[in-house]
This record gives sequence, C-alpha cells and structure tokens, in this order.
Amino acid sequence: MSLSRFLLKRSLHGLFVVWGVITVVFGLRVIAPGDPANVLLPPNVDPEVRQQVIRELGLNEPLYVQYFEFVAGIPTGDLGLSLTTRTPVAARVLAKLPATLELAVAATVVAVIIAIPLGVISATRRHDPADYGATVFSLLGISTPNFWLGVMLIILFAVQLDMFPTSRRPVGFDTIVAQALALQFGSAWDALTTWLWHITLPAITLGTYFTALITRLTRSGMLDELGKTYVRASRAKGLPETLVRYKHVLRNTLIPVITVVGLQLGTLIGGAVITEAVFAWPGLGSLIINSFNARDWPVLQGSLIVVGAGFVVTNILVDAFYAYLNPQVTYD
Amino acid sequence: MTDNQSHVSRRTYLKLAGGAASAAAIAGCTGGDDGTPTTSGDGGSEATGTTSSDGGDGGSDGGSDFDITITQGQMPSGLDPHDHRETPTTVVMLHAYDSVLSRDADGNITNALATDYSRVDGENAATFTLREGVTFHNGDTLTAEDVAYSINRIVKEDVGFASPQRDQLAGVSGAEAVDETTVKVLNENLNPIVFSEFATYCDVMQKAWTEEHDKSYISQNMMGSGPFQLSSYTEDEEVVFERYDDYWKEPAAASGVTFRAAEEASTRVNQLLQGETDITVNVPPQEVQRVNNSDNATIAAAPSTRIIYNAMRYDVEPFSNVKFRQALNYAVDLESIVENVLGGFGAQTGQPTLEGFVGYNPDIDPYPYDPEQAEQLIEESGFAGAEIELNTPVGRYLKDLEISQAVAGYIDELPNISASVRQRDFGSLVDELLTGNIEDKPNWYLIGWGEATFDGGLVMTALLSAEGALTSWNNEEFDSLLEEAGNQTGDQRAQTLQEANQLAHDEAPWIFLNRQFSVYGVNNSLSWQARSDERIDAYAISQK
Repeated sequence: MSLSRFLLKRSLHGLFVVWGVITVVFGLRVIAPGDPANVLLPPNVDPEVRQQVIRELGLNEPLYVQYFEFVAGIPTGDLGLSLTTRTPVAARVLAKLPATLELAVAATVVAVIIAIPLGVISATRRHDPADYGATVFSLLGISTPNFWLGVMLIILFAVQLDMFPTSRRPVGFDTIVAQALALQFGSAWDALTTWLWHITLPAITLGTYFTALITRLTRSGMLDELGKTYVRASRAKGLPETLVRYKHVLRNTLIPVITVVGLQLGTLIGGAVITEAVFAWPGLGSLIINSFNARDWPVLQGSLIVVGAGFVVTNILVDAFYAYLNPQVTYD
Repeated sequence: MTDNQSHVSRRTYLKLAGGAASAAAIAGCTGGDDGTPTTSGDGGSEATGTTSSDGGDGGSDGGSDFDITITQGQMPSGLDPHDHRETPTTVVMLHAYDSVLSRDADGNITNALATDYSRVDGENAATFTLREGVTFHNGDTLTAEDVAYSINRIVKEDVGFASPQRDQLAGVSGAEAVDETTVKVLNENLNPIVFSEFATYCDVMQKAWTEEHDKSYISQNMMGSGPFQLSSYTEDEEVVFERYDDYWKEPAAASGVTFRAAEEASTRVNQLLQGETDITVNVPPQEVQRVNNSDNATIAAAPSTRIIYNAMRYDVEPFSNVKFRQALNYAVDLESIVENVLGGFGAQTGQPTLEGFVGYNPDIDPYPYDPEQAEQLIEESGFAGAEIELNTPVGRYLKDLEISQAVAGYIDELPNISASVRQRDFGSLVDELLTGNIEDKPNWYLIGWGEATFDGGLVMTALLSAEGALTSWNNEEFDSLLEEAGNQTGDQRAQTLQEANQLAHDEAPWIFLNRQFSVYGVNNSLSWQARSDERIDAYAISQK
C-alpha cells in the first residue's frame, strides 16, 4: 500500500473516531447532572425568563434534533454558539489552540532535550552513580503531581527568586512569527524573549512526567539494543564505541521513543488541563474545564472534537513516520 | 411613594420578591472557583428620593498616571451589559456603563445618571430626571431616549432580545422618554421596589449605537457613559479600559484598568505577590497570612451579602421535629468553625437576616455550643439513633466542604445520633432544589444565598416562605408575618420582619451558619475599600 493510500485509509478511520467522540459527548449530556439554564441563571429567576432563555439557547429542542443540527454544521465549520458567550464555538476553540499547541510542543522539547541524553548516560553507565541519579530523577518525575510541581516552581522561581513570571501568556508564538514575517525583527525578538520567559515554567511542569517516562524508555531500550548481536558484531569489526552507541544503538532505540513522543503529543493537547489552570495559560484545557463547569456543551463538544482530531492526526503521522524509520514495518 | 399605593397583596409581594429579589443567587450560579456569586435581585424598602448627591466616591482631577489590574476567578461571559447574570461580568460592566441610580459601599441608594426620581401620583409609574451634559464614549450626548431604550431592551423581548435580566426589573413593563431629560417608567402595579431595582440594575447603553450593530458586535464592544472606555477585549483573556476624561464626574484617578482571570486561587495570590496584578478576589483563608506577610500586598475583607446555611426539609423525619432541628443548632460550635475553618473571615448567624439588612433583629444571638442540651433535645424529640446525611457542594462557597465536615463532625460526636457528609456536584444539587417539588430536594443540605438589596424580607421570602424559590420549610405564622410586612413600610415593616426572624430562630428551619466574607488581596500602593455587594469599582481606587 502506498503512503497516500495509507494516509487516506487512516484518515477515514479517524473521521469515525471523531464522530464517536461527538456522539459520546452528546451522550454525556444525558447522564451529566446540571441543566445549563440552571448554571447560567440564578435559582430564583422568574420561570418565564428561564423558559425564554432555554428557547433562545435552543435547549428546548429534543436532543436528537440538537445532535443532527450540530453534526450537520461540522462540515461547514459551524460548531454552534457558546451558551455562555453566545459567540461562535469554532472561533473560540481555534483561538485557544495555539496556546495549547505551544505548551505541548514546548513540553515535548524540554522532555526530549533532557530525557534522551539522560537515558543514554544511564544505560551506558549502568550501575554508576549517574545511572542511579537518573533513575531517582525518573522516579521523582513520574511520581510528582503536576499541580504540586507547578505551584512549587512558581513559589520558588517566580515569587522567591523573581526569575520568571508566575503565570499568563501575554504573547503568542503566532505573533512572533507574524512580526518576523513583517521583517520587524526587533519586535519579534522582544516577543520571543517574553514568550520564552512565560512558557518556561509551564513547559517544565508539563514536561517533567514526560521527561521521566522517556528517560526510562531510552534507558531500557538502549540496554536492550546493547545486548544484541549486531552490536557485538560492530564492536568485533573494530567500530569505535562512540559510533556503535550513537549511530547504531541510539538510532534503533529511538524508534519506539519517537512513537511514544508522538502519541504523547496527542495526549498533551488535551491533557494540559491542570498545568493550564495553575499558570492561567489560556489554552484548550482551561476552556474544557470552564465549559464543563458552565455546562456549555457546544464549547465542550467543539474542544473535544479538536482534541480528538489532534489525537487522530498525531497517531496517523506517528504510524507513517514509524514505517519510514523502521523498514520492517510496511503500510499494510 | 404615596400611602395609597403602599398596599400590596401577598401574592404580588411574593412575585416581586421572588423575581426582583434575585440579588442573590445561591452562590453564584455561574461562579468562579470559590463561589463567585450570581448577582441579581433587589427590591426592599424604598425611599422615594429627590437627593442630589452624585453617589459613589473616587475620582480625581485627572492626569494621574497609574494603571490597575484586577484578577477575578472568571472572565466576563461577554460585553453585552444586558445579557449576563454573573458577578464577574457585572464588575467589568460597571466601569463602562452607568446606571440611572446607584449604591454606595454600604448599600444606600445614590443618584447616578438621574438627579431626581419620584412616583407619578395616581399612576403605576415613576419618573427619573436625568442630569445634563452626560456623554457617551463616542462623544454623543446621553438623552432620555437612550435610558428608555435601555430599560425596554431588558423588559421587552421585541425591542432587544430575551434578556436574562428581565426579572431584575420585575414589575416594570416599559419606559418612555417624556422630554430630553425625563424618563417615565411604567409599572405593571405599584412596584414598591422600583427605585431599589434601578439602584442595582439596568446599565444604560446608547440607543443609536445598539440599534446600529448586531448582537455579536455588542457582545465584543462597549458604548456607555461610564468612567472608563473600552480599549481592547480579548475573549477569555483580558478586558482593557482607559480613563474616559469627559466623564460627568471627576475623571477617575487611575488612567486605566485591566481585568483578567485566574481560576486557581493560588495563582491569583502569586500574581499579587509578584506585582503582576493589583487586586485579586477570593483569597482563601490559608493564603491570607502569606499575603499579609508580604511587602507589597495586604488583605481587604468585607462582610458580603451572602449567608451560608444548612436547610432541613420540614416534611421528613427527623427534621420535621423542631426539637431535633434546635438540637442540631446547639450541637455545632459555630464560633470555632468561623475561627478555625474560615480563619476569622466570617460572622456567626442566628437568623436568616444579616446584620445591616432591613429587618435584622439585634436581640437574637446565634445558638450557643451546648452538646449536652443537644443530646437532651434529641432524646426528647424521639429520634435518638437517627442517621442523617448532609449534602454539600464542593468549592462553590468559601470552604463549603470543610464547613460541612465540621458541622457533621460536631453532630456525629453526640452519642445518640450519627451524621455524615455527601459531596455533591453543584449543578446536580441545584437541579434538585429548583424542580419546584420539595420531594426532589435532599433532606439536609448546605447552600448559600446572596442578597444585594440588603433586605431581609426578600431573603426570607425566597428561602423560607411557602412560595419561595428555595424553601424547604412551611410555617403559616411565618408566612403571614411576611405578608404583613409586604403591606408595610419603614420601621413598621422592619419590626414585623424582626418578629419573623425571631420565629425563624426559634423554629430553627436551618442550622444557622456563617455570613461569608469577601476577601481580597490588594497591592499596598492602592487605596481601596472592599464593598459588601462584591463589586470592585476602580473609579473609587486611588494611589496612596
């Protein structure tokens, strides 16, 4: 099967997954407690006003009608109106996407930069203090809850040491790119430093668990590869150890690591909820929580469609890339 | 108000109260993290006024150059002043939009756009005389047409849309401009609370601007006559205002105000301590010391208009027994809860009406902590051995879960009763409370209620009368006292309401808990007094 056919087939599968997400979210409406009108309005509001608002929001329609109207709008990009702000859901969700992607990518970059060298050191110096140090770091990273780490980093590096801001995202990466394209390099540089200054702590917070995971994966993968016969053969034919480790062993080790990194990126798109809340980072995670608290179902649906689609896309790309990296895997 | 118009039937009174009294909201139906409330409601005793005070304070000779950043728990749901019911949105709105009347920090009615107001003899109507020389932010002069249009936009669906604020102007059927500076408000009936309603609600928009733009545009832009004009708005992120130098009062001292939101209380506090924001809302008790110990911020607190209580259903055993209900009140060490759970940011209550409200009875003390008396009363009630479960929302009100755990803990310590706590999602709890059928309600639950009108009659009507929106109690004597109060004014009405409070205290339909405090963190460089109505008015802020 060619790559294009593979992508087409997987995309069609992905559409079904996203459709499933939409349907499940609609199902949640039925079982989740809390009528949106009761959350939007005070309890003592006049019943007539309540009914009027319910009509205005279209909540009086049967659920299946709301469902089909919603699904019918998706191909045209119409995800309905937010119940709380009455603004188009698609615009609201897309406005949040850059912040979430930035954070997810930054966390991944932080994780990869730290974890792979750490995993390599740990594997090549097995039972050395460096290995123990890396193992302890990994365990701590995997067991530290995000919300605690985030708050601690803020208190230490922002409040006490005044090295970073406590929270917020005053400038987005899209602004930096736009300024650079407009040849305003001075402004772009200022924006870039501001952006880096603000994203460092959230990226470390979000990336720590991930760092620990990749460190463990790199270590065990590398140890596994080092014991294989091709390594012995390479050494026997006189290849320098550096070349053996970094050209052959690390390359093979990275195949499963890349798979995990890709899949994790999909998770991070929807999984940064706590980090976003702690750092007041205006991304999809915050939007999902706020819209659920307000029972703003259209926004919740829109956000989850984006998260679901993100997951599907990263999965497809990872699979495609995996087959490219590992010739033993085909697109069939 | 003329005397011949002062008689209101019980049904009318209850209707008005149930609707307009909405100042409250059982704790912010769209609230922030710590129980950000939903405003609404109004009414109460009414003084027809012809005062000429401008109301409010603050302002400067202009020209000062400092900006203020305010961080709430939630961003406004939009910028249409007539299309929301949440306090965080109200707080943002009051900077760009003026109302006809207003209130000072203590809740007293003051003039705003109107310099005079009175009832029209022989008609169910009232007139407002507007001050001259008021301009909108685009420079156009404010006229009576604009005010009448704004009122009609709220109460008439065909003029605007189905505004969720319609019942905040309960009893108002419309408005018309008599001349350039006179507005006549038409009422469906006497509407004894009309001026009180306009002191809390109805932001005035420019008619031409509003008609010119669609709803979506109005939700993203502002055109009022308030002390600040909109500079920029990023949905879900920030609202930036700059000072309006042609304001009808002295221009604001601050040159600009920025509103942001952080749902996490610790995030807000950290922003404050780092100087990234100047005022934060809902500082939790455990963070108070950190703020006070810092070099650049302090705590400002004010008793809010919100009462926190445990309601008990009168129609189910064992709560149907008055001795049992009284016993639960004696069993709880309220003083300790206020001191230890709330860090002192609360006040004990012993009646439904809060101190400072119309109808507050100063002779009633909170139930004392007396476990022996409680044990004995439970024996006398015949319900020894009962097992009861307290339904509580989590994170809706300040320390709601901790308060519930303490209450259940004290009761469970008694040897002849056992109590436990059931944590509830706020939305599902409210669903059960609002079905209109008492049998859908939990037998015993914690809930809160804010009443921005400072009127005990409205609180008791909504929470304890047979027709109240949230009642779990039914007492004919109590209802007739409220009905009596509905036909009275002034001291006479206050006296009747005091009797109703005494009855409520004795009959103990609730476990009376605490008055919630609004606790803010404020940058030391600013001079600002926290208000009881949970509004943050940047116009009243100056630099020290």
